[in-house]
Amino acid sequence: MKRKLPFFLVAVLVGVAVLHLSFSRVSPGFSTLLEWMFAWTGATDAVTEPDQFVFASIRTPRMLVAVFGGAALALAGTVMQASFRNPLASPDIIGTAAGAAFGGAVAIVNDWSQVSVLFTPLAALVGAVGVTSLVFVLAGSHGRFSVTNLLLAGVALNTLFGALTSFVVTMALSNYLASSEVLFWLMGGLDNRTWDHALITAGGFVLFTMMVLPRVRELDLLTLRDDSAHSLGVDAAKARRYLVWCACGLTATTVANSGGIAFVGLIVPHLARLMVGPAHRLLLPTAALLGAILMVVSDLGCRVAPAHWNLRLGVVTAIAGAPYFLYLLARQRRGEQL
Amino acid sequence: MLSKQLGQKTVLHGVTMQVAPGELVLLAGRNGAGKSTLLRCLIGAIEPDAGGVQLDGKPILSWQPKARAREVAFVPQDTEVPFEFTGRELVTMGRHPHRGRSETLRAEDVAAVARALQLLDAEAFSERSVITLSGGEQRRIAVARALATEARLLLLDEPTNNLDLEHALQLVVLLRRLADEGHGVLVASHDLNLFAPHCDRVVLLHNGRADVDQPPEEALSRQNVERVFGVRSHQPTKFFPREFRL
Repeated sequence: MKRKLPFFLVAVLVGVAVLHLSFSRVSPGFSTLLEWMFAWTGATDAVTEPDQFVFASIRTPRMLVAVFGGAALALAGTVMQASFRNPLASPDIIGTAAGAAFGGAVAIVNDWSQVSVLFTPLAALVGAVGVTSLVFVLAGSHGRFSVTNLLLAGVALNTLFGALTSFVVTMALSNYLASSEVLFWLMGGLDNRTWDHALITAGGFVLFTMMVLPRVRELDLLTLRDDSAHSLGVDAAKARRYLVWCACGLTATTVANSGGIAFVGLIVPHLARLMVGPAHRLLLPTAALLGAILMVVSDLGCRVAPAHWNLRLGVVTAIAGAPYFLYLLARQRRGEQL
Repeated sequence: MLSKQLGQKTVLHGVTMQVAPGELVLLAGRNGAGKSTLLRCLIGAIEPDAGGVQLDGKPILSWQPKARAREVAFVPQDTEVPFEFTGRELVTMGRHPHRGRSETLRAEDVAAVARALQLLDAEAFSERSVITLSGGEQRRIAVARALATEARLLLLDEPTNNLDLEHALQLVVLLRRLADEGHGVLVASHDLNLFAPHCDRVVLLHNGRADVDQPPEEALSRQNVERVFGVRSHQPTKFFPREFRL
C-alpha cells in the first residue's frame, strides 16, 4: 500500500492542478479548459484567443510555480530534518527562508531582474546559503544540532534577517512600486507569474532534486549519530553540508519566485512520514507530491476567495501550518516522538 | 603511540594497542578514561593529535569510507534514532557499504540482514518501530546492524547496556564465536565479570594510557584493579560473583 501511495498522490495532484486551472472568480471555466486542452486532437473547437492567453500565459505558469515550489519546499524540509537529525528543522524555522527573502528583497528593490531573470533567485540563494552557514556555526556542537540550539539560532536569525529585510523595504519607500512589490512578495503569492518564473522554479527543483536523489540512502544514515553514519561509510559532516546546500537551493529558487511561503517545509515532511514512514526512498517523492498538492490547493483558495480580501498564499499556508506546529510542540512536551 | 586532546583535557596520552583476527579484547577503565574516544580514533571518526591507527598496515584515515566500513564495524554507546524506522530498516542500513549509490537491495543483502537479526534474536520485533522497542531491544538492533556489515573487525562501545542477563550473555558468547571464526573483536565495557572469562586480553585504560594489556587473569589482578579503578577486589564469595552460563 505504501509503495502505491505516490501513484495515488500523482492522480490527486493532476486533479487539483486541473481544478487550479479551471476555477477562478472570472471566466474562462472548466468547459473552456477542456476545449483548450483537447483542441489539438481536433475533438473540440479551438478556444478564443483571450481564453487561450489566460490558460497558456497566466494560469499554467502560476500552477507550475505552485507545483514545483510546493514540492521544492517540502523536499527542502525533509532533507533538512534528516540532515540535522531534527524533526523541527525546516527552511522557515532555521532562517534559510528568511535569508532567501532578504537576498530576494535586495534584488527586487535594486531591480536586478532587469539585468537577468536569474539575478533574483541567485540573490535569494546567496542569502539562504549565508544564513544556513550561520546556523551551522551557531547551533552545531561537534556536528550535533539540538532542538534548543536550532530553535534559538532560528529565532535569532529570523528576527535579524526579518529586520534587515524591513530595513531594505523602508529604504526603498521612495520608490512606491518597488517597495509595494517587495511587500506583496514577502507575504508570498503567485500573482503575475510568467513562464520565466515557472521555468526557474521547475529548473531549480529538477537540478537540486537530481543532486539529492543519488544520496537518498545517505539521508537515512544521517538520521543515525555521526559516529554510526561514519562507521557505515558516510562522511557525515561532508554529506550534511552537501545535502543542506541542496535544500538551500530548493528553498531559494522557490522563495525567489513565490515569496515567503510559511510552514510547507515544516509540516509536509511530518505528514509524509505519517503516511510512508521515515525511509527516504519513499519519503522524498511522497513529501514532494504532498507539498505540491498543498501549495496548489492553498493557491486555489487564494484565487477563489473574495477579491477584496487580497488573500496571500503565505497567509493561507501559515494559517494552515501554525496550528500543526503548535501540535508538534505539544507532542514533544508530552515526550512523544515527532 | 596515539594521543588525543578534547578541549583542555588530554584524554589519550600515547596509547598503543592492537587487535588481531581471532581475538576478543576487552577495553576497560574508569568513566572518562577515554575508552569511547579511543574507539572513535580507531574507526577514524576523529583524528588523533599524535600517532595514528593502522588497518591492515594502511592508515585508517587513508581508507575509502565504504571500503573501511566493509572492514570495521562499530556500535556506539548512544544509538538513539529520532525517526520511527523499523528494526529491519535500521539493520538494512548496515548493508550501505556493500551497495552502489543507486543499487537496490540484493538477495545477499537481504540474507545478511536476516542472519544478523537471527544472531541477535531480534527477528520477533524487527518489523516494529524502533521507538516502541525497549532499550535492550534497541541495543540488539544496533549490534545486528554492525553484524550486517559483515566486517572482519568489530568495535563495540558498551554493547551490553540495557540488555537483560540472558541477552547480555548471548551477546558475549556470540562475540566469542565470531572471534573464534576469525573476526577481531574489541569491546569497551564496565562489565568485567561478564566479559573477562570469555576474552583473550584485557586492556585497562588509566591516566590516558593503555596501562595494562594482558590476559584477563593477570590484567584483573588485585593490584591492577585497585590501581586503575580505586577499589579493592575480593575473592569470590559463595554468592558473588557467580559464573553465568547459557
